[in-house]
Amino acid sequence: MPGDQWRVVGASIRGTSHERSGLPCQDAHVWNVDRDGVLVAAVADGAGSAPFGEVGANIAAKAATDRARWTLVNQSPKTPRDDQGWHSFMKDTLAAARSAVEQEAKNRSLPINEFATTLIFLVAGPDFVAAVQIGDGAVVAKTSDGGILSLTRPPRGEYLNETTFLCSEEGLANAQFLVARGAMAHLAIISDGLQMVALRMPGGEPHPGFFNPLFEFMEQERDQMAAQGRLSSFLASPRLRERTDDDVTLMLATRVV
Amino acid sequence: MSTAPSELEAFVEFADNPEARCPCVLLLDTSSSMEGEPILALNHGLKAFKADLCKDPLASRRVEVAVVTFDSEVRVVQDFVTADQFEPPGLLTHGETLMGSGIGKALDMVAARKAQYRFAGVLYYRPWIFMITDGEPQGEPPEVVAQAAQRVRQEEEQKKIAFFAVGVEKANMTKLSEIAVRTPVKLRGLGFVEMFVWLSRSTQVVLHSKTDEQVALPPPGWGVV
Repeated sequence: MPGDQWRVVGASIRGTSHERSGLPCQDAHVWNVDRDGVLVAAVADGAGSAPFGEVGANIAAKAATDRARWTLVNQSPKTPRDDQGWHSFMKDTLAAARSAVEQEAKNRSLPINEFATTLIFLVAGPDFVAAVQIGDGAVVAKTSDGGILSLTRPPRGEYLNETTFLCSEEGLANAQFLVARGAMAHLAIISDGLQMVALRMPGGEPHPGFFNPLFEFMEQERDQMAAQGRLSSFLASPRLRERTDDDVTLMLATRVV
Repeated sequence: MSTAPSELEAFVEFADNPEARCPCVLLLDTSSSMEGEPILALNHGLKAFKADLCKDPLASRRVEVAVVTFDSEVRVVQDFVTADQFEPPGLLTHGETLMGSGIGKALDMVAARKAQYRFAGVLYYRPWIFMITDGEPQGEPPEVVAQAAQRVRQEEEQKKIAFFAVGVEKANMTKLSEIAVRTPVKLRGLGFVEMFVWLSRSTQVVLHSKTDEQVALPPPGWGVV
């Protein structure tokens, strides 16, 4: 087995407000670790106001990871060497996600905003993480020396309920983009529904009390199925659902050395 | 190997962020023409507003209600409180219709509230001002009304507020449409309860959705445009 690997657990759970109003879970997440131990992961949050938000979210998350996997296989060197290269890589990934959603809207002869979704996407190797984000949510990392930081964070518009979407005009222009060098021990992606419990708002710094126990859990729980189940029941727990009624997605990735 | 499967929820601590707020000013005409049936119906509507907001746990914590009345004077009957703390007042009527001054007061209150939110690090939604009248501006110089209309237009454009106007019975709808940017709605009869339930539901829609612009509200069933 070559080099480093990631252990990944992720879950998307329907929020109580969506249950009450009969909406499906509009969050989606997709991830893959390739043979070289490179992780690609996407989390998308379909807009509650968009009739097909969950369709947009699923398509965007899948198209982004598919495109990135294809690029990783076909380009040489496999991963870009500098920020510039990563920037093009991420832009290309977002464009692919966007055109997949546009294609779906076209197939159904519906306006694109009915598929409105946010998108968070990352690529992580043994000594780098590249992340991009359009709209809300965050990517949080714990470095191998124990520091916790937000790689991307919720953008600060004036109003809480205003955000940007993948397919809106300013979507690509307003994307947050970041490449972090150095070894990351843990990564987490959260959707909008977890922001108020996982981050210190309005700044968007990670709340260590939220992430540390989760990262510890990832180190201890080696059984994939068990980890998956425990994460899902945490996200569905009454204590969490008292604090947020939106759909929630949490994806955790821990580097196995 | 991990031992007995401990529940994650016992270990994960939540960030202690202040609850986000959605300010909503009810700007109400209590001039003497509202006397009798209309004011009783309005008071009843306010109770329905509170009751409906409190059915939604998020709305009861996040929607902040303020009540400003205008007649021969402008009064802050209720400064901003969260819906669960809101005690619907029993409003009385008298005198003229200082609508322009009332609008000015509501805009000032919203601006001051936002400044408090920012200072306290509280996240917030776009504030709503919801004006209800059965008449037209009266008892104040036309400049005051013109200035109020100008501010409403400007602050709507800058997305500082969302201003809604509702006309009751013989309200001067033409005059209202000169003040509000959004098309004023004419209330059907004295259907205040339906209107306030709609308002409550509409704020809930806002709380539960993300948007890249102003949320499209469900069409009101209680009025005509």
